[in-house]
Order: sequence, then C-alpha cells, then structure tokens
Amino acid sequence: MDRREALKRVAWLMGGTVCASAVLAIEKGYSVTTSAGSKPSILSAAQMAIVSTMAEIMIPRTDTPGAIDVGVPGFIDLMLKDVYTQKDRDRYLSGLAEFDAAAQSEHGKKFVALEPTQQAALVRKFHDAAIVEEHRLNRPHARLQRSFVLMTKELTLLGFFTSQAGATQVLQYVAVPGSYHACVPVRQAGNGRTWAVQPGIQF
Amino acid sequence: MGSNSYDAIVVGTGISGGWAAKELTEHGLKTLVLDRGRMVKHGDYPTALLNPWELPYGGRPTLEDLRHQPVAARTGYVTSQASKHWFVDELDNPYVEKQRFDWIRGYHVGGRSITWGRQSYRWSQMDFEGNARDGIAVDWPIRYNDLAPWYDHVESFIGVSGSAENLSQLPDGKFLPPMELNCVEKEFKRTVAGKFERALIIGRAAHLTAPLAHSPQRGTCQFRNLCIRGCPFGAYFSSNSSTLPAAEKTGNMTLRPNAIVYELIYDGKGNRASGVRVLDAETGEQTEYFARVIFLCASTFGSAFILLNSISNRFPAGFGNDSGELGCNLMDHHLEVGASAIVDGFEDHYYSGRRPNGFYIPRYRNVGKDKRDYLRGFGYQGSAGRADWPSLMHDAALGVELKQKAAKPGPWHISLGGFGEILPYHENRVTLDRTRKDKFGLPVLAFDAGLKQNERLMRKDMANDAAEMLTAAGFRDVRSFDSVIGVGLGIHEMGAARMGRDPKTSVLNAWNQVHACKNVYVTDGACMTSSACQNPSLTYMALTARAANHAVEELKQMNL
Repeated sequence: MDRREALKRVAWLMGGTVCASAVLAIEKGYSVTTSAGSKPSILSAAQMAIVSTMAEIMIPRTDTPGAIDVGVPGFIDLMLKDVYTQKDRDRYLSGLAEFDAAAQSEHGKKFVALEPTQQAALVRKFHDAAIVEEHRLNRPHARLQRSFVLMTKELTLLGFFTSQAGATQVLQYVAVPGSYHACVPVRQAGNGRTWAVQPGIQF
Repeated sequence: MGSNSYDAIVVGTGISGGWAAKELTEHGLKTLVLDRGRMVKHGDYPTALLNPWELPYGGRPTLEDLRHQPVAARTGYVTSQASKHWFVDELDNPYVEKQRFDWIRGYHVGGRSITWGRQSYRWSQMDFEGNARDGIAVDWPIRYNDLAPWYDHVESFIGVSGSAENLSQLPDGKFLPPMELNCVEKEFKRTVAGKFERALIIGRAAHLTAPLAHSPQRGTCQFRNLCIRGCPFGAYFSSNSSTLPAAEKTGNMTLRPNAIVYELIYDGKGNRASGVRVLDAETGEQTEYFARVIFLCASTFGSAFILLNSISNRFPAGFGNDSGELGCNLMDHHLEVGASAIVDGFEDHYYSGRRPNGFYIPRYRNVGKDKRDYLRGFGYQGSAGRADWPSLMHDAALGVELKQKAAKPGPWHISLGGFGEILPYHENRVTLDRTRKDKFGLPVLAFDAGLKQNERLMRKDMANDAAEMLTAAGFRDVRSFDSVIGVGLGIHEMGAARMGRDPKTSVLNAWNQVHACKNVYVTDGACMTSSACQNPSLTYMALTARAANHAVEELKQMNL
C-alpha cells in the first residue's frame, strides 16, 4: 500500500496526530538485541536493574521468552545513547529517579527491593497515570515529552516485538510470503497469530 | 568519433533516464549514460533480505543519521535503518529554503526508481486540457491521444498490475492481473459506490503479478512489502531491474557513475549543444563529453540545476531560458490530509502475505457536473488492516495480558489520504544561489514555493470527504487529519522547464525539446505543464519513450 497512507495509519494507531516522529517512534523494524554482556553506557548498574525489572513486568517470560531474554534492557540503553537527545535522556533519568523515590516513600524501600506484587503495582500506577496524562495533553509526538514509564514501555514494545523471539514465537513472521490472500479465516492466516510485519507499515 | 564522443548522452538513471537509455540504445545509438551517484547493480540492495531483528535501533535513525538527513526525516520513514542509504547526505548537498521545501533526493544509479511508491496511473484528456479550459498558466502542447500509445508501450514493458474500470478520468492500460482488496476494503467500496457514486479500485502498481516474457531477469511479486529496500526478485519496476539491463543488453550503453553533469556545452554553432561538462564525484576531475543529442533526465531539480547553471552569451539567464520561465511553475502533490476510522466486525477474517499496494479512489471533484469553489481535484490512496502491537502503547494491558493481546490480531482499521493537484504558479520557483557552494564547489538551488488558496480550499474537501465516506460506511471513531507540509513532501516535484506551444512562455516544445536548442531534450518531471493528481512517474516514462523515439527519427532525418 502507499507509503503515505501507511504513515497515517501508523500515526493514528498510536493515538496521536500525524507527524513524522510519531511514525518513527513506532516504525517497526528491526530491533536488535545488544550483544550479550556488553556494558551499559548511559544507565548505571542500579538504573539498569530498575529498567530491567520494569521491562520484564511489561513483557514477562512465559512459555515464550520475555523482555530480558531478548535483551530489551541493553536495547533501551543503546537507544538512549544513540537515538534520543540529551534532553530526552535527562528527562528519562530524572523520571527514573522519581519513580524509585516513589517506591521509597510508599514502601520505605528501593524499587528493586520490593516484593514482585508491589513492583507490579507501582509500574501499573505510573503507567495508567501516564496514559491519562498523554491523552489529556494530546500533544503531537514531537512535543510529547513522553514520561519515563511510557518511554520504557515504548522501547520495550519496540525492542521485544522486533526481536527474533518476539517476532517468531509470540507473533508470527514469514520472510517471503510468496503470495497474498486478502481475506481468509484467521486460523488459515498462518497460525492465526498477529503478523510481526504488517502490510502497509513496511516500505 | 573521439573517445569522449557518442551519438547520445543521457543524464540521470532514474525512472526517466533508464527509459531514455533503453529506447536510444535499442535504436542503435551509442549512448553515454551518466549518473552523479555511486553504482548500484540490480541485486546490490544491502538491507533487502534483513529480518526485523537484523536492523539496529529497532529500525529508527540515530541522532547522527538525522544530522545528515534532516530533510529526508520530514517524511517520517525514508531515514529508517532499512532505507537511509538510498537518500543523500544533506550536509554534502545543501540547498536553500526561502520557504520550507522538502527536497527528498537519491543520488545513485537507479535514483528514486528504487524507492518509488510504484503507483502507476495514466493521465486523462481532462488533465491535458485543464490549463486551457481554466485559462491558467499555458496549454499543454499535447493531448491524451499523443501519449496513449506510449503509455501502452511503457506499461507492457514495466508490468503494471491493475483492473480495467472504464473511467474517463483514469484511462485503463495494459494490465497484469490486479491485486486483491481485503474484506473491509470491499465493504468500503460498496458504500463509496452505492452512496456516493464514486469508484474505489485496487491500486495500479508496477509489480509483476505474472511473469514478463521479455524480462526473464525479473520475478513475480513475493508479497514481502519491503520494496523501498530494493527488490532482489526484481518484482517491481526499477531502472536497475528493468530498463538499464535492457540498455546494457544492446551493447550500446556506456554507463558512468560518479559523473556530476554541471553544465551543457553550447558552442554557438547551429543552435546546438555539443555536449556536457562533468565533474567526477570521487576525484574532482573535469571531463567534457560530446554527442549529437542530449537527454536531461536528472530529476526535476537536477535538470533545472544543469539548465540554470549553463550560462552562455546566447543564454545569459540559463540554458533555453528565452521565456524567463526556467525554474518557475514548481509543482508537487499536496498530501498528509484525509481520515481514518475503526471498523467493527470481520473479527474472524485476516490476510496473509504483505500486499505492497492499497486501494485508490480516483478523482471525482470537478469531474462531469461536479463543481467546487476551487480548480482541479484529488485522488485518495488508502488501505484497511488489523491493529498490531504499536496500538498497545495506550492500552491498559501489561504483562502476560499484553503478550496475549499482541499475539491476537487487533480491530480492523481503515485510513485514506488524498493526493491533490497543485496549480502551476509562476512565482513558485527555484533559482541558483551562487553565493553558496556544495561539497563539489557547485552553486546550490534555492527554493521559494508554497501552497495557495486553491490548495487550501481543496484540502478541506480532502479531509471532509474522507471522513464523510467513512462515517457513511458505518465505521466508528472517524478522525480526519490535515498536517502542515512543505512543497516537495509528495516527492512528486514537477515543473521548472515546462512544455508549451509558445517559446515566449515555455521552455520545452511538444516533443520535450528545448525550444531554442532542439538537440536537448528534458523528459523528467521538469517538463510538466500541470500536475494533475495522479502519481506522475508513469507519465514521465511515457513522455521519455516518446521523446527518445522522436530524437531517433530526427537524427535519421538529419534534423538534429
């Protein structure tokens, strides 16, 4: 389908008005996991522990791999280093500090020291509030100034669903379909799961 | 002939240059084909076979990438890790924006024929008559019937999948089997036809849905929809997969990459250009090449640059610029306006394969008895699909639930965006800024062009009509959109050396020859006299093939 039309579709899916960066933000592709054991360059070990825990809460290991299995934490660190501006990075890191401070004030412990249910509840609380706030502000993506928790979610989704495990074990992926069937029962569309690469988004 | 002399020179290897090369060499002309960028042979598509997880950064451009391609990034997609290598480094190739102007360039053999959208629509009689009918700009010196056999010729060679619809505003062509609309698109088609008496058709796209006997090197579409990376199957038309191999096969083509043509040589004898001056992009070496006929196919503004930069006593204001129209009347298609909606139902239906195409709603405004408060009209391109993981960004689901939701195809949604005609305004123009230089020491182009009242009025219809049709179809959460754009973002730039009947008001004649210098042809988007609303590449190809065959005849008659 046409590239520009696709642009619209994608931007709309993200619930925003149309702008270039909205599409960049979710242009699918292609995440790659960072090489195992590589040293984070933006996040400290303590920060990395928080981000890893959050990413795994958002996309946990089940009968298929989770966020940590596919290297999402390293991916987030790499994206912060090379893709995000200094301003975005600063906002992310201060949001991270506020998040950890909330754990301290609510439970008297750092986030990583909380019980798993407490951790999940805190992520849930920040997540739901941030969504309400983004809807309220209704800003175009370029001026979104996305919060720490939703930046983490965005990068976790991107990193996970463009990873090999995310694309092939949670979603389904065929490199060379060879033919097109416009309208088939879901169960006859491969294994019936969502396609990892959608028509219309890829160019 | 000397070692630097040929029968013909073609400048550029994109959609138009590839066609000029093919036609001229197939008629036996020893042809030098020059491109300013690097060599790309068919198959040299480095990202074509990469899986999603093999591209870095989730496909997104880095800050360093964006520093080199800030204008290309305005598109929102071409600077991805999968395709950024097909677009120029803007630090090396600057230009001036007196108004925002989105100039999206690809400097390499094949040019933007590798990255084009493949949508292929004929113009109609209505489009060629428009300027005369409305009393604006100048009349096209040709009509549909002049071009119809060349559309046939081009479509038969490149392969265009599509359906015959018998629409006067969008003539049928020589089609390969059409791709299919999905169930939601078919449902929308019923509304568009039943309640609005408008057509909705599958896009006409330059993809092989059946083999072409004359191009055995090309395979049929594999429905990967990764076209912008280059197709290793040769399934969509590009110069690299199609016209350049045809030219190569004749043995008459000499192809030189890294050859920046910066000037035509006007020697003052017999109103002819004797050749071109070339700067080697790698060594800086300057060379002159000579030929009996020269085809400028360097892209609209690439050709405009060469003409503007070719100053002589005869042409002090730019080559062939007796009319003063050189660089004027810039056009594009305005877009980023339309509507989208969510579609309930069809939950038990999905698709398999990735169709590199969508639906098309041909122009209906100011057609027949319809009369609007603006001139001309627009067409829509769109598609329907099922939501996937990006739609979960604002979803409450987290954890196991998020994984489960992502694995299940989401709701159907549909979106359509307009492509609107921009009128040719004399004051929308490009000039040479000789005070600034690019990496090669050449002056740079300066753009001063904008949308006007006619386009603004049309955009209201483009948003409202789309929303109205989606609402009438019973879809929900209908949202219209209308973004701020720069001219150029359509990547359908046209004008700057328009065709016309009168040398006093146009640069080129009915055969794409420079009025005042008949052995120079300009057959890319620069030649366009109006923009219509259809994607223009097919028309460039038809005009180029027609002009090349004219040049061959004129050479035989010793008229050039």
